[in-house]
Formats: sequence, structure tokens, C-alpha cells
Amino acid sequence: MSDAASPDITPAAAGAPATATAGGATQETTTVVEFTQVGKTYDTGYTAIKDVTFRVDDVPGHMEIVGILGPSGCGKSTVLRLIAGLTPQHPATTGIVKVMGKPVEAPGADRGFVFQDYTSFDHRTVEQNIAFGLECRGTPANERLELARDWIQKVGLDVKRDADKYPHELSGGMRQRVALARTLVLKPRVILMDEPFGALDPKTRYAMQDQLVALSREVQATVFLVTHSIEEAVYVGDRLFVFSNAPGTILQEMSIPAPDRPARVMQREPDFLDIVFSVRDLVEGLEMYDRAGT
Amino acid sequence: MAPLPLLALRATPSLPVRQAAGGVAIVLVLLAWYLLTSGATPEARAISPSVFPSPGEVIKGFPSLVTERNLVGGIAASLNRVFLGFGLALLVAIPLGIVAGSFRLFGAAAQPISLFGRTIPVAALLPLSLQMFGIGELQKVMFIFLATAPFIFHDTARAIVGVEDRYVDTARTLGASSSHVMAKVLIPLALPDIYAMIRAMFGIAFGYIMLAEVVDAGAGLGYILLQSQRRGMPEHLVGTLFVISALAYGIDALFRFFERGFFPYRRSHE
Ligand SMILES: Nc1ncnc2c1ncn2[C@@H]1O[C@H](COP(=O)(O)OP(=O)(O)OP(=O)(O)O)[C@@H](O)[C@H]1O
Ligand SMILES: [Mg+2]
Repeated sequence: MSDAASPDITPAAAGAPATATAGGATQETTTVVEFTQVGKTYDTGYTAIKDVTFRVDDVPGHMEIVGILGPSGCGKSTVLRLIAGLTPQHPATTGIVKVMGKPVEAPGADRGFVFQDYTSFDHRTVEQNIAFGLECRGTPANERLELARDWIQKVGLDVKRDADKYPHELSGGMRQRVALARTLVLKPRVILMDEPFGALDPKTRYAMQDQLVALSREVQATVFLVTHSIEEAVYVGDRLFVFSNAPGTILQEMSIPAPDRPARVMQREPDFLDIVFSVRDLVEGLEMYDRAGT
Repeated sequence: MAPLPLLALRATPSLPVRQAAGGVAIVLVLLAWYLLTSGATPEARAISPSVFPSPGEVIKGFPSLVTERNLVGGIAASLNRVFLGFGLALLVAIPLGIVAGSFRLFGAAAQPISLFGRTIPVAALLPLSLQMFGIGELQKVMFIFLATAPFIFHDTARAIVGVEDRYVDTARTLGASSSHVMAKVLIPLALPDIYAMIRAMFGIAFGYIMLAEVVDAGAGLGYILLQSQRRGMPEHLVGTLFVISALAYGIDALFRFFERGFFPYRRSHE
């Protein structure tokens, strides 16, 4: 999409199709996720987001990772939970939220969610946690076990050592690996991640970022990653949404080079840092503008 | 002057020190008991034998408590009543509590009735149960049922409601249906709390049964207590109290033992 030699940020007007489609050819491209003028006002009367419009097209062989940045309280989690169909965010107060061309009606296994808070089921071992969704789907026990063990390995855990552990015996990083495996084993079309690595140390964080990139490509899923780390968003993302505050809306949408080297390496390179600094300037500019506007 | 570290506010002494403190307290109470009830003649005692027996009298009275007063049969009768009444309460109130906790409309509907049940004083339940169920075994069993069921219902519902939303959200995004969420998330995650509640409530039910047994029981620990008092045998009364205390402790220890086996994923068992 772009060469990494120069900081290549392509600001696009919020809401414009990601791929430059020449006049009216949109009918053939299906969209993975599409927001049209979406707004959410909570029962408290507080309007968290307003006029959020974007689309992520379904381009075979090119699964996007969308990084979502923005100040605290600008509605990032609200957007993710609307895609997932989770209450009380769902249903949207105004506008339409579509996934794979259909309005979202309820949560489903086609849209996996990895939360920041640890949500491993305490009464299930690692293996049983990962098999949870398969169990709900009715997959036979032996097949379930095999898949679960496969994924224990893929997310960097050890079958022998970890499969029978209970969540309270795991570190934070291991718990998030379990959460990732539990979602990916279901081969979701969309993976929603709300600051999943926020509580991890830098080394574990790099490892998890690389794992996320590799595994989401493997299962052919589009990822929405909410994060407070600009480095993380720029490294993992093919595209960034930068949200502004009160009420939250997308102020800047941009394309960035996809990650093609390990996080620990790439995130130290000058070219990478150039992009991070540009994005940081942009975000800080938006925040300033935001303050001036209110 | 620096305060003694053991006496510092909220300082936690080591386990042996805590156990020693408990032991010393017991010895002090026993000593006081012994001193207050010792004397060559009844008149020489600080507390008359007709008011409170001496430790020696309680020990000497124990064989006759077992043989003449049928202590073992009394324990069996009391436990049997508690098991029946409490078991019935669990059978009825836990499923209802699970439904009330899972479906908030049902929970809201049950709320005032449950509150009423929980505020009826035990002292009022006794005449009420006699009125409704006569003076036989049924009354004893139903007394325990009525006294415990509202609490079991309430605490079960609360345990289910207490399961955090993020677990339900997670299950939903993994494709769980409503019945999956109930069976695989809400009930298992609430179970340790429900079990802890059962453990505490059983202790209370075991105490309550003595109340019902002071009326025409024919057998049971409460019956033995009352008869001992009426016949002027305080050594049997006090001896039975020790038996009750030991029994309650033993049953609770059993509950604790099984708790470890049932919930290996719980870090703390204290
Ligand atoms: N259930 C709710 N009821 C009322 N207001 C809510 C609710 N959930 C979120 N809000 C409000 O909506 C706004 C956006 O919340 P949201 O959680 O989406 O923000 P966020 O961008 O994810 O913030 P953070 O970065 O701190 O996680 C906040 O001001 C929050 O207080
Ligand atoms: Mg958030």
C-alpha cells in the first residue's frame, strides 16, 4: 500500500471509503463494518458519540487492522461495543451500524471481543476457557480439545504446562493470550480489542502485538484495536481513526504502512518514529482544537 | 515509649501467637469457672450448684447424659429435622433464586415477598408454624424451612446478580445463548458464593432447631436442654451445650473441607 521509506500518512476525510473508489462503484464492494451517522446518547442523557461515519471494505486477501486513538471518554469503547452489539451501547440512538452488510442486532461469535479487564472464566482451565465458544457452538468434545490445544500453542502458551491451569495461576500476559486464543479459535470475521495490552509490560506487549498481527492474518479477520499507545496503533494498524472528544466523532482517518517486521525492531527505526511523531502532532493538534472549540 | 508491636492497632500476630492467645483465653475462662464453682459445701461456693454446675460435675454427668438421656438419639433427631427442613429449603429456594437473579423482572416481583419473609422474627415463626402444622415432626421441619428459605432465596439471587457483566458480555461475543450464559457462566461463577451462604445458613438452621424442640419434641437436643432444666440437672444442660458447640464446629469443618474439593480454582479458602 505504501513504502515505509518515507513517513506516509494519508489523511482522508472522515467517512470516505478507505479504498479510492472511482465514482459509484461501491455497489460491488461489500463492507465489513459500516457506520452511517451513528450517534449514542445514554440513558443519563449524555451523548457519547455523534455522527460517526466510516466504512471498512472487505477486500479479499487484505485484512485490515484499524487502530483507534483518542482522548479518554471520547467514545472508543462505545464504538467497539456497538459493533459487538453489546448493551447498553447497542442499539445506537441514531444512524445505522452494519457488519457484513447487515444491521447489527445482537452479539455473536462472528465478532470476537478482547477486553482490557481479564475475563477468563475462573472455574474453567485454560483449555476449557479456549473451548468455551466451541462448546456453545456444539463442536464434539474431542474436536474441541484438539482445536483448543492448537490455539494454546499458537498464542505462545505451552500445552503441557498451561492447559490445565486455572486463571488464578496465570500472569496478566498469559490471561490475555488465553482471551485471544478463545476468540480466534472461533475464526471471527471481526476482532474487537479494547486496550487489550494496556496492563502488560513492554516486552510482553511487543510479543503480543506481533502475535496479533500474525494470527489475525491467519484467521483472515479485520481487527479494531483501541489503544492509548500511539506507537502500538501506528505499528499494528494499517489505518488509524483519531477520535475527538465531547461528543466523540472521527476527526481524522489515515492510512499507514502495515507492520512487516517484529515490533521490537520496527518500533525503534527512525522511519517508524517519524510517523509516530507526525501522528502525535496530529493528535495533540486535534486536542488543542478540541479545547479551543469548547 | 514505643507501643508493644503485638498491641499496635490492626497488627496481625503470627498464627502460633493467635492460637496461643485463644488457648490462654479458654484457660482463663475455665479457671474462673472452676474457682467460682468450687467449695466443700454448696454454701461455700460463690455460685450455687443449683445455678451453675462445676466443671467436675459436668464431666461426671456425661455418662448419664449419654445413657439415661439418650444423647446420641437426640443428636440424630435434631440433625434429621434440620436436614429435612433445610434440604427442602435449598431445593425450593435455590432454583427460584437463580431465576430471580437471572431474570430481573422475576427478581423485582419476588422482592417484596422475600423482604417480608426475611423480616418475620423467628419468635413469631414458632407460634405460626405450630398454628399451621400442629405439634408433630412436620412442624419442626417446616419451621426450619420457613426460617431459612427466604434467606437462601435472597442470597442466591444476589450471588447471581453479583456476577460481573463483563463475563456475560464475553460469553455473548463467544456465541453463547441465554441458556448457555445461565448454565455455563452465571451459575458456575455464583456457585462459590452460594456454597458459602449454604454453609453459613446451615449453622443458623442448626441453632434454630433447638427453638422448635422446646415444644413437645419428644427427642432432640433442644428437648434434652429443656428437660435438664426442668429436672434440675444443670450438669446435663451445660454438657449438652458443649456437645452442640462441638457438633456445629464439626459440621462447619466438613463444609470447609468439601469447599476445597468443589472449588479448586478459588485462591482463598479462609
Ligand atoms: N453505560 C453508560 N451510561 C452512561 N454514560 C456512559 C456509559 N458508558 C460510557 N458512558 C460515557 O460515554 C463516554 C464515552 O465512553 P467510552 O467508554 O466509550 O469512552 P472511551 O473512549 O472508551 O474512554 P477510555 O479511553 O477512558 O476507555 C464517557 O464520557 C462515559 O462517561
Ligand atoms: Mg474505553
